[in-house]
Amino acid sequence: MRPDFRNTVERLDRPSAYYQSRNKNRRRNDRGRDDRDGDAEMKEDKPEEQAPEDPLAHAATLYVGNLSFYTTEEQVYELFSKCGEIKRLIMGLDRFNKTPCGFCFVEYYTHQDALDCMKYIGGTKLDERVIRTDLDPGFEEGRQYGRGKSGGQVRDEYRDDFDEGRGGLGRAIQSERMREVDRHRDRDQQMEDDYGRLR
Amino acid sequence: MADYDRRGGGGGGGYNNRKRRVRDDDEYDRRPQRRPRYNEPPPLPVRIRKQLLTLAESPLRRWHEEVQSIAHIVADNYDGSELKESFLDLVGLMVLEQPLKIPFVAAVVLVANSLKGEIVNDVLARIIPRTEDKIKQGEWRDVKLYLKFLACLQSCLEGDGLFPVLEELFNRAVELQTSSSEDTIGTELVKIILLTIPYIMAAAPGPEAQQKAADLMDKTEVIASEPHALQVLIDPFHTPDGEDSPTANSSLIGLLQKQLQNEATNGWELSCLPRPWKMPLEEVELQEKMDNAQKHALPVIAIPETVVAGPRPLFPEIYFSVYVNQEIESVPSVTNIAASLIRDGLLDTINLLDFNRNVTARYLIDVDCYFADGTFIKRATPFDRLRDIDGGRSTWKPEDVAVDAVFSQLFQLPTPEHKLVYYHSVLTEACKIAPAAIAPSLGRAIRQSYQNIHRTDLELGHRFLDWFTHHLSNFGFMWKWTEWVDDVELPDLQPCKAFIIGALDKEIRLSFAQRIKGTLPEPYQRLIGPEKEQDTPAFKFKDAHTPFSAEGIELAALLRRKAPDEEMQPVIDRIHAAALEHSIDPLVSSTDVFMTAVCWVGSKSLSHVLACIERTKDRLLDIGAASEAARLQIITSVVTYWSAHPGTAISIIEKLLNYSIVTPGAVIDWALVSGKAGSGGEALSKAWVFELVFSTVVKVTTRVRQVATSGAADGTAEAEVTAMRELFKSMEDTLVSWAQGTKDQMMDPAEPMDGAGGNREELVQRWGLRWLRVFRRRSAIEEAYLLTATANQQQSA
Repeated sequence: MRPDFRNTVERLDRPSAYYQSRNKNRRRNDRGRDDRDGDAEMKEDKPEEQAPEDPLAHAATLYVGNLSFYTTEEQVYELFSKCGEIKRLIMGLDRFNKTPCGFCFVEYYTHQDALDCMKYIGGTKLDERVIRTDLDPGFEEGRQYGRGKSGGQVRDEYRDDFDEGRGGLGRAIQSERMREVDRHRDRDQQMEDDYGRLR
Repeated sequence: MADYDRRGGGGGGGYNNRKRRVRDDDEYDRRPQRRPRYNEPPPLPVRIRKQLLTLAESPLRRWHEEVQSIAHIVADNYDGSELKESFLDLVGLMVLEQPLKIPFVAAVVLVANSLKGEIVNDVLARIIPRTEDKIKQGEWRDVKLYLKFLACLQSCLEGDGLFPVLEELFNRAVELQTSSSEDTIGTELVKIILLTIPYIMAAAPGPEAQQKAADLMDKTEVIASEPHALQVLIDPFHTPDGEDSPTANSSLIGLLQKQLQNEATNGWELSCLPRPWKMPLEEVELQEKMDNAQKHALPVIAIPETVVAGPRPLFPEIYFSVYVNQEIESVPSVTNIAASLIRDGLLDTINLLDFNRNVTARYLIDVDCYFADGTFIKRATPFDRLRDIDGGRSTWKPEDVAVDAVFSQLFQLPTPEHKLVYYHSVLTEACKIAPAAIAPSLGRAIRQSYQNIHRTDLELGHRFLDWFTHHLSNFGFMWKWTEWVDDVELPDLQPCKAFIIGALDKEIRLSFAQRIKGTLPEPYQRLIGPEKEQDTPAFKFKDAHTPFSAEGIELAALLRRKAPDEEMQPVIDRIHAAALEHSIDPLVSSTDVFMTAVCWVGSKSLSHVLACIERTKDRLLDIGAASEAARLQIITSVVTYWSAHPGTAISIIEKLLNYSIVTPGAVIDWALVSGKAGSGGEALSKAWVFELVFSTVVKVTTRVRQVATSGAADGTAEAEVTAMRELFKSMEDTLVSWAQGTKDQMMDPAEPMDGAGGNREELVQRWGLRWLRVFRRRSAIEEAYLLTATANQQQSA
C-alpha cells in the first residue's frame, strides 16, 4: 500500500495517537504508558506520517482497556481467541494489591490477527463493558502494573462517574469523600458500605 | 427517525477517536492555527471528495441534483490539475470500496460527459489498465466491480461497448470448464458476466443490446445450468437421507441465469436497479444533452490466454437465505433478479469494508438508499404488517435483506472471506445503530436457524452457536428463552437440546454462571448446576476417601512451593508401587494425581496453570511420550478437573498441544474413541467436544499449510502432511463406525441415556454422519490446497 494511500472511509486498525504523541512529548511526559485511556486522541484524518522505523508496523500485541476489575483471563481468552490463537495474555494489576485493575495486554502470533482484533473486537463488549484496543509495540516487564498514585490506572484516580466495574468513583475523589465520611461517621455510616460493595 | 441520521463526510466514527480529558499538554494546541475563515469555503478538491463520498447516502437529497452538482463543479474546474487528479483517483477508489454507489458515480461521469467530453476518456484511461491488472492477478471481485462501473457507462461507449469484453471472458470460461469439471475459475467468470449484463441493460436498453444479451446468455446457459461437481461439498444443509436439501437447486449462477431469462422475457424491466442517469421531466434539456453527448471508444481490455484463480481459492457459490418459506416474502424470492443484484452489492460492501464495520453497518441499514424507489417497504415495518401491504407493492423489508446477506456469509462454506468475528461485529453494530429495525429481523433469523439446526451442516451449526452467544453478550444476554422452553425436556442427544446446552456454556464463558442464570426462565435453571458457579473446582484428593489422596495433597504442596522435580519423584514412586499392588496401570494413576494437582495449583487463572505447566513440562513431556494411555490420562485429568468449565479445559489442552505434551491424535482418540468425553456416542452431541476436535484439526492444517508454502525441502513438509493424512484417516474410520452404528460402545452405553429410548441409536448415527461430513470436507479442502501449493511451487521453480 502506498504510504499516502487513503481509503474512502477511516480504518479501524490504525493505532491511536498515543505512541505518536508520546514520542513527541517524551521529554516532558512523565506519565506511565497504561494511562492512555485518559489522554489518547486521534489525529484528524490526515495520512499518518510514517516514521522510518515504526515500532507498530509488525506489532502483534494489543493494549486492552476499560475492562472491569472482575473480568477474568478466561473471559478475555474466550473473546480474543475469535481473532486467532493467543500467544500470551498479561493482566494489568494494581501495583500494591496485585489485583486486576482494568487493562491487559493480549499478544497474538501474527500482526494480522492483532489488526483484525482492532477492527472486529475493539469497541465491542466484554463482560458487558465496551472495551478499547490499541496496537502496542510489545509487553515489557513492569508494564503490567498501574501507574496511578494509588496503584491502579491513572484514569481511575480522578474519574467522577460511578463505575461499579472499576471500583466505584475515582480513587482520589473516593478517598477525599472517605475522609469526609470519617468525619461524619455517625451520621453517614451507610455511604461507606456502598463504596465497599463489589459487582 | 434516528435511523436516518447521517454520518458526516463518509467517516463513520471510530472508537479510537477519543476526546482528550486532559488538555494541558496538548501539543496540537501549540501549533499555529490555520483554521479557515468562516466565509471561506473549503478548497474544491476537498468539497468534491466529500460530496462524492456521501453520494446517495441521504434519502432526503435527490439523486439527479447531487449528481449534477458534482458533475458541474468537476467540469467547470477540470483544468485545475489538483481537482482533476483527485476526482479521477476517487472515482477508481469508490468503485472498489463502496460498490453500492457505482451507478451514482457513473451517473456523475455521464453528466460530466455532456459538459466536457474529455472527462470520460480520462476516466477510461485510468480504469482500463487497472482492470487489466486485476484480471492478470485473478482479483475477480475487483474485475467484476470495474466491469459493473463500465457497464453503467455503456450509453456513452461506441459500438457494442462492453459486450465484446464479456464475450472474451466467456471464451476463457468455456476453455476452462471443458478441460476440467472441477474448474472454478470458469464458474466465477460466468458469474461476473451474468452480474454485469443487467447493468448494461439498465444503462443502455434497446433492441440491439437485448439481442447481444440474449446471444451471450445462450452461451452461458450450458455452464450455468450444470450443477457444479463441488456443490455437494459446500451445501450449507446436510439433510438426512431421502430428504432434499432446501438449497439443492440454489447454485448461484444457475439462479442468475434463470432470473435473467425472466427479465429478458419481461423486456429487461430490472425494476430494483437505480438509474441516477435518468433525469426527471423538468430536466429535459440536460437529458437531451446527455443523449446526444460524445461517445467514446472503449479501449481494448487485454485478457491473457491463461487466467488464474487469484489469492483466494474459488468455490462455486450457493444462494443462501434464512428467510425462506415465509407466508409473505420479506426478501426477494430466488426467482427474482433483485435477489442476486442486491445480495451481490451488499456482499461486496461487507467484504470490502471490513476495515470499518461501522460504515458497513451503516450501509446495511441504508440499503434502500441505493436501489430504485419502491424496491423496499419503509424501514422497520414489522413483519406482521406485511400482510396489510396492497397487492403489487413490494413487501421486502430492507433489514431482512441486510441481515440475510450477513447470514449468508456466516453460513458460507468452506469459509467466508474474513474471520467470522467480523460478521458478528457487523451485526452488532447494525443492531446498535437501528435496534428497533434490526433486532426483530435477527430474532426471526435466529428462530429459523434454530428450527433447521438438525439439518444444518455441523460446522455451520457451530458457527451459529458461536455467533448467537457472542451477539447476546453484546446485548445484556437478552433472549426470549421461553420460546424454546419445551425443548429443555428433550434428551441431550437431540440437536435442539444440544444447542441449548452448548449456548449456555458459551454464554457463561463470556460472562459468569450467576449472571446467565439470571437471564433464564425457571425450567432452564437446572441446566446450570452449582458446580458452574464455583470459580475454582474442588481438588478431589482433598477427600481422604479418594485413592492416593495423601500423595495428591503432597504433590500439590510441592508444586505450590515450586519444589524441584527430584522432590516429587519419591511421591510418584509411592503411587506407582501402590498401583502395582492393586494391579492398575501405575503411570496412569500417577499421571492423574500429578496432572490434577497441576490443574488445582494453577486454578486461579490460565496464567497460573500455564506457568505451572511450564515449570513441569519436562515431566509432562516424558509422561506424554511414555504411553498412549498416559497421554489420554493427561487429557482426562484436565477435562475432569474443569468439567464444569470446558472452555478452560480446551484452552489448557491447546497449550499442551503447543508443548507437544499431547498429540493431535491423542486429543481425537480421547474425544471420539475413548468414551471419556461422553459414553455411547453422547460425546458427538456436545458442542465443546466438537470445538476441541475442530480447533485441534485447524491447528494441524494451519501448520501443514505453513510448511507447504514455505517450501522447505528438508522433509518436514512431507512428515507433517503424512501426519495430517493419518489424522484424517483415523477420524474417518472412527466416524464411519459411529455413523453406521457399528461402534461397539454404541450398543452398550456405560450409562443408560435418559429419555432417548429406542431413538437413541438413530440419533447417534446421525451425529456421526454430520461429524463425518465436516471432516471429510476439511480433508478434501486441505488436499486441494496442497495440490495448488505444489503446482505453484513447480511453476515458480
